[in-house]
Amino acid sequence: MLGPQTHLTARYMDLLSLTQSVTASNIANADTPGYRTLTFDFQSEFRRALEDPKGQAGESAAVFEAGLSAVKNDGNDVILERELRLMSESAIRFRHAALMLRGGIRGVRMAIQEGRGAIG
Amino acid sequence: MSLFNAIDLSATGLAAQRARVEFLTQNIANAETTRTPEGGPYRRRSVIFESRSFATSRFQNTLNQVNVLNNGWFSAPFPGTSELQGVRVSGVVVDPSEPERRYMPEHPDADELGYVEFPPFSPVRDMVDLTASVRSYQANLSAIEAARDMINSTLELARG
Repeated sequence: MLGPQTHLTARYMDLLSLTQSVTASNIANADTPGYRTLTFDFQSEFRRALEDPKGQAGESAAVFEAGLSAVKNDGNDVILERELRLMSESAIRFRHAALMLRGGIRGVRMAIQEGRGAIG
Repeated sequence: MSLFNAIDLSATGLAAQRARVEFLTQNIANAETTRTPEGGPYRRRSVIFESRSFATSRFQNTLNQVNVLNNGWFSAPFPGTSELQGVRVSGVVVDPSEPERRYMPEHPDADELGYVEFPPFSPVRDMVDLTASVRSYQANLSAIEAARDMINSTLELARG
């Protein structure tokens, strides 16, 4: 009803939520010996959604170790600054996507209300 | 569901860092303790962190079951986020290093040579640990705030 972009926006927001969860995992384990930074491939996951816009929402994405080069003495390679940057970036992107979606919903709602005025 | 997972995950981080701060403050408070229930001077304690696979919540499991029963009513996002790791305190270790001996013959805990055993206190080490711990705590808190903002902006959608 809201157009084909809605599926994509939903998938985009799903992936941003996953970024947020992965970042939360990395931040929670910033002091855990032996923990390695986790990540997932946002771009290729989203590209898959672009190629097949239907029925992608809710599909799981592969999470793997990022393999950062700077490993600390305790075998932990979490860079807190990297995680905080990713976190604020994904929060802003998410807010942006939510605003766009909201605009679409508002348009449909306006159309419904205007239509009602014409009939009455 | 994924965003609520993120909040739960960060909460494990908060709990772990709080436990660490508790032991650090205990170490600082007992910097001069020469008598303990187990005998001898106080010994430094430090927490050991361990990452733990973050299982999906019971609520989410129920939702997934309902979803299967109803042939996919709604999408249950990211059912397989078990790769994500929470953190927990797996144990507390007692510092085995030798106590510091100070010559204080008038002290009630002095040995026959007049030496008193004090905890090997290193204020710099403890303060650095404390600062790092507080910083990690704040980072977890920021993560919760970010997830909360994201959830709120999703809720705004319903308002139109």
